[in-house]
Amino acid sequence: MDIFFQQLVNGLTIGAMFALIALGYTMVYGVMKLINFAHGDMVAGSAFVGLSIYTHVMGEAASLPAVIAIFLLTATVVAFFGILLERAAYRPLRSAPRLSAVVSALGASLIIQNGIMLVWGPRMRIFPELIPQLSWEFGGVIVSLIQLLIMGLSLLLMIALYLFIEKTRMGAAIRAASIDQDAARLMGINVDRIIAVIFIIGASLGAVGGLFIGLYYRGITFNMGWQYGLYAFVAAIMGGIGNIPGAMLGGILLGLFNAFIAGYVSSTWADAFTFILLIVILIVRPTGILGERVAEKV
Amino acid sequence: MATNDLLLENVTKRFGGLTAVDRLDMEVCQGQIYGLIGPNGAGKTTVFNCITGIHPCEEGRILWKGEDITELPPYRIAAKGIVRTFQTIRLFPQMSVAENIMSGRHVKSSQGWWHGIMHTPKSRRDERKNWLKVEEQLEFFQLHEFTVQPVQSLPYGLQRRVEIARAMAAEPSLLILDEPAAGLNDKETMALLELVFRIREMGVTILLIEHDMDLVMQLTEKLTVINFGKKIAEGTPAQIQQNKDVIEAYLGSDDDD
Amino acid sequence: MKYSDYYGYALFFLILVLLPSFLDSRWLAVATTFIIFTIVALSQDVVLGKSGMFNMGQALFFGLGAYTSAICNTKFGMPLLATVPLAIIIPALFGIILAGPIIHLRGDYLLVVTIGFNIVFVQALQNNLLGLTGGPNGIFGIDVLRIPGIDSGTQSAVYYICLAALVMVLIVLKNLEKSKAGRALTYFREDPLAAESIGINTRVYKIFAFAFGAGIAGLAGTLYANQYSAVSPEAFDFVQSVLFFSIVIVGGSSVPGIVLGVFVMFVLPEIFRDFATWRYFIFGFAMIFTMILRPCGIWPATYGKVPAYILKGKQHGNK
Repeated sequence: MDIFFQQLVNGLTIGAMFALIALGYTMVYGVMKLINFAHGDMVAGSAFVGLSIYTHVMGEAASLPAVIAIFLLTATVVAFFGILLERAAYRPLRSAPRLSAVVSALGASLIIQNGIMLVWGPRMRIFPELIPQLSWEFGGVIVSLIQLLIMGLSLLLMIALYLFIEKTRMGAAIRAASIDQDAARLMGINVDRIIAVIFIIGASLGAVGGLFIGLYYRGITFNMGWQYGLYAFVAAIMGGIGNIPGAMLGGILLGLFNAFIAGYVSSTWADAFTFILLIVILIVRPTGILGERVAEKV
Repeated sequence: MATNDLLLENVTKRFGGLTAVDRLDMEVCQGQIYGLIGPNGAGKTTVFNCITGIHPCEEGRILWKGEDITELPPYRIAAKGIVRTFQTIRLFPQMSVAENIMSGRHVKSSQGWWHGIMHTPKSRRDERKNWLKVEEQLEFFQLHEFTVQPVQSLPYGLQRRVEIARAMAAEPSLLILDEPAAGLNDKETMALLELVFRIREMGVTILLIEHDMDLVMQLTEKLTVINFGKKIAEGTPAQIQQNKDVIEAYLGSDDDD
Repeated sequence: MKYSDYYGYALFFLILVLLPSFLDSRWLAVATTFIIFTIVALSQDVVLGKSGMFNMGQALFFGLGAYTSAICNTKFGMPLLATVPLAIIIPALFGIILAGPIIHLRGDYLLVVTIGFNIVFVQALQNNLLGLTGGPNGIFGIDVLRIPGIDSGTQSAVYYICLAALVMVLIVLKNLEKSKAGRALTYFREDPLAAESIGINTRVYKIFAFAFGAGIAGLAGTLYANQYSAVSPEAFDFVQSVLFFSIVIVGGSSVPGIVLGVFVMFVLPEIFRDFATWRYFIFGFAMIFTMILRPCGIWPATYGKVPAYILKGKQHGNK
């Protein structure tokens, strides 16, 4: 039983990170019908940017204000690069066939990933200990401060995003653009601005996710973007690609699944099982848990 | 029952809450030029999609030469001798005219998938035979000078002709034309008229949807008129022209394309 | 083929045949690898370029062929030459089995599923599945592919064996192009609905394309095992699949385009060592620029290949 609750805690933590990253994928896919392959690399980059901000800007201070500043600054920098990415790699291909955009996304991914390598080197770097390594034990289950922080902050951000999407005008505009971009444009919605907004939000959430990865795993490498990115993308698909609550749900479920496989079966098979799960879902219910079927007119 | 009959019995097709085709009965006899007409959105293309297996109908059945083809997928329907063209012209854009027409020979080719790896003398003969058939179509449809041109570079009227040539390459018994005159000017429409008669002379039955009423009246021998998925009239062109329900459905005038 | 095509191929092969006279062992190894990867890229082209299916897991089939040969040779004592049919058929069978349930999926989803297959495959290799695959270090000590009567152990011999394989693959691909099956692939790529309606069973031909590509990739796998005498999981990672995918799209769905793509991706970094660290970075830009400026690739496929006898006019007799 201990294993169960321990993996539950671990799973919710990982799941929260997946969810934050998955939201970036799902928002972009919802409006632009594009898999932003570079998103995972932006997340990876966030960890490195955070590392550099800590080292060079914050003078290696780890106080609460400093940590908050690191998060905000990292998110800002990454959001800026998100906009740059959209302008350079995706906007020129808005009307091109889907395959072109996919390849461009892959190209952007290679650029970012190798850009990280060229700047920070190919070896693993250690993320600073911004949060004290405190932990508590409850009946055989260990919960750390970092885990609580990740779960708590992710929950707050997800609630905030949900309210934003459901209750604000901008949120409604985003939902409209996800359903039918052209119709939204005809209704006077500035789709370019919507796209900028979703890239900012997605990149910022991804940045937080990337910093969490740094805090939780401590070791960061330039090519970790694809691994987390793929997982998060699986989560987004599981929940229903384009569906924001779906990405949150998918992320958490996937984190739990991953943790339970690692705990009960073997961690060396975790990836394989996760992708088998994905394949099964895509065959059986490709629209995901919360997704909707869209019919095609012939 | 004569052979080469296409029989629709009680065909119903729904899309969610919308009944696109409502208990339609229709019979097309061998050698006829049969028209399916009705106002925009009446469900005509949906009927074609049901016949050709793209959207199988929920209720009712479709019989072809006495055989139930209701549940068959599109590629099997083509193999049974029913070939169609599309309202919006669906050619293979980057490929040449000849290659497009060659796709029509797919159902007539005797090659197996293994000939993709290695040819045998028999499969080489099959290749040659099919290309020669393509040439026949190029001549019949006067497309010879465009043989190697990519179809996306051709004017609309020529693309229509290529699409029909592709369908004819499959040697159909029933040719289904979905708005063949859409987008054609008067001269091209006249040429289409002659073409359809020549095709019928070869023994092919023709079923078509068309909005150009002049063309319909000159071309077809029998019509079914549908509105909101339901049949509202059936008869010869002359009869249909007098039919009150039809006139009401169209509100008197038909638009030029 | 047009006359210019003949000259192009002739020149290309002349250079390739003469290369061993000019190159030392190390560069000949590079050239051999170039040929092997060209074969894999050509196999990727069948699925992606000709059939239009977003397959980003071709390294799986490459690896299946390599590991099949490795296992049969080291664990079951089969001579490498005898493993060739297995290295073609087993990946082809897997191509059929894997493609079956997923072939109806829309482009993006298919992409992710094929990546998933690749990841599962590599992890299975790393976990020493069935005790056969040798874990993260792979399998060593693979015997050389022996052809009777030839001194098969030299780098030159290995090179020429690969070259011969390339020639065979190109012949088979040419055959595909001029066959009912090959044309069916391009038809449903251009318009699946029209292809179905004209009588093409797209499902069967899609699976055929997967199996066909898998078999060719498997053959390349044996050649790889021969060249390196070892196989390991990272060589067949999904990152490799991404590279093969990109080579076909950026280079273009044609033999020259693919050869160019493989050359830029795998040979140039060897020539310019500095380039090696920057290669993916630069390649990323190349991908974006190519998609914006030349969406069909640097050297796209050409159509309009029609037999000469129907172009000449009404000269021949019976029909």
